[in-house]
Amino acid sequence: MIRDKGFLIIFIFLAAVIALFLLVPLVQLFINVGPVKLLGALQEKEVYESIFLTLKSSFYAVLFVCITGIPLAYLLARYDFWGKSFVESLLDVPVMVPHTAAGIALLVTFQNGEIGGFLKSIGLEFLDTTTGIMAAMMFLSAPFLINGAKEGFKKVDVKYEHMARTLGASRMSTFFSIVLPNARNDILNGALMMWSRGLGEFGAVVIIAYHPMIAPVLIYDRFTNFGLSYSAPVAASMILVSVSVFLAIRFVNNRFS
Amino acid sequence: MLKVENLFLQKGEFSLKKLSFSVKRNSYFVILGKTGSGKTMLLESIAGINKIEGKIFFEEEEITTLPLQKRGFGFVYQDFVLFPNLTVKENIVFSSRYKQIIDADALFLDIINFLQIEHLLERKTTHLSGGEKQRVAMARAIYSRPKLLLLDEPLSAVDPTFRNSIMKSLKEIVTRYDTTIIHVTHNFREASYLADHIAVMIDGSIIEQGESNRILNHPKSIEVAKFLGFKNIFPSSLLNENTLGNVFSIDPNAILFSYTSSLTKYCFKCVIEDIMGISDHYKVFARVKEHLFFVKVPKHMFAKLDLKEGIKCYLCIKKKDIVFI
Repeated sequence: MIRDKGFLIIFIFLAAVIALFLLVPLVQLFINVGPVKLLGALQEKEVYESIFLTLKSSFYAVLFVCITGIPLAYLLARYDFWGKSFVESLLDVPVMVPHTAAGIALLVTFQNGEIGGFLKSIGLEFLDTTTGIMAAMMFLSAPFLINGAKEGFKKVDVKYEHMARTLGASRMSTFFSIVLPNARNDILNGALMMWSRGLGEFGAVVIIAYHPMIAPVLIYDRFTNFGLSYSAPVAASMILVSVSVFLAIRFVNNRFS
Repeated sequence: MLKVENLFLQKGEFSLKKLSFSVKRNSYFVILGKTGSGKTMLLESIAGINKIEGKIFFEEEEITTLPLQKRGFGFVYQDFVLFPNLTVKENIVFSSRYKQIIDADALFLDIINFLQIEHLLERKTTHLSGGEKQRVAMARAIYSRPKLLLLDEPLSAVDPTFRNSIMKSLKEIVTRYDTTIIHVTHNFREASYLADHIAVMIDGSIIEQGESNRILNHPKSIEVAKFLGFKNIFPSSLLNENTLGNVFSIDPNAILFSYTSSLTKYCFKCVIEDIMGISDHYKVFARVKEHLFFVKVPKHMFAKLDLKEGIKCYLCIKKKDIVFI
């Protein structure tokens, strides 16, 4: 029993170190800023517009990857094909590369060259546009959703699909009525991870679109131009809004799942 | 009704080896085989889940490449595969989303009464017992009005106390819902109760098929006899007679011991080699020449005969109890 206690004490101590390391800076930020400055920042047009732009761009990125990445995740989960390992490795590359490097790569691809030319011809501009912000966020955070969905699909036994089809459902109907609902939690977790990862994106966005300013760029801009006291309320506002949205989505999902 | 011709399917090192058989309309056809003999693979091939070589005909039409949703076959898996995102009722009526069910309401009521699942309808499938899941899976398959119902070991995950009542229901489904059943199992007792026809599958091949009583009581091959639990399989030459088969089998309960040779037509000198006491009987191993017989002796008889290891006596069998293979 004494040994058990010792084991628990060591583990609780080590766990507390990392938990406090993660929690204290956030709490400290809110204490330093205080409720008055926080409310003041939230009422500033530049601040709430940049926060809204951040939330919106990241949400659109998630939406786009839901439409394109979920089919990819399903194919990866269900089929073995030539080059599958390569595709899977490729998906993890954006997570590993420096974000500024990713921004440069996106700029080279979508602003210049043949692809950039074609996209411009159909009205898609990337430099200093919301589309550019969305692309930068999507490039670096899509693997969270795709990998999450892939794991979710793997958990849905293929026999459910066979069963639905023997009962008359087509492959598409089976996907929407059986596969997707049963992989929902993993997909939603992946989407939340992607969305929250997108909210924090700075390196790639600042290369491709300094303006319009998303919240992380605004925080950086205020910090370099006006110092800590000007940037901290914006940082606290952004954290408060994103955590609130994150918790609300989790609550709704738990309530209706 | 269903005709399978030279069905071949390779998966890894295992294969279904050019299987051919046919199933008559409104019959109960049981495919009997050990675990790993390829029964489920065969059932999935008939359902259209596996791409196969060979041909499958259903009501004179070739359906080998027909997508599974167009075959109209019902399927019940061993683990039932109830959709966890739907309630019991939604599971049962799932097929009505995709096809017209004739007399849907009346059929639904009849099925839930027949399988006694009225009280489960609003429940989530994850909270059901094995027997309840089995009945819901059956209800879902029957509700889709299948012309052919494929059952993959449907009783293996069911509590033994409910098995008999479920078997009774299974038997009734064929006539009540005008369908045909192919049921795969490793349990020959299940097969003996349910089957009109049996195919015995060993290692991807159908070794023997035919009318249920014939297969279960007079198997043609030693492999099938052993699989069906026949004991004491010995060469017919031991009987010194011209016989129907090369080997014969005798039920361990039908063998008698005696100290005189005149008890029945076939009495052999034997030596008792081993005796094991079980709750209500003794397992006695007796050697006749080079053959070791296994005999079940009831306790009262054992005491009367006073059998002991090493003693010499006669081992007698009646002609009517001999099964020639």
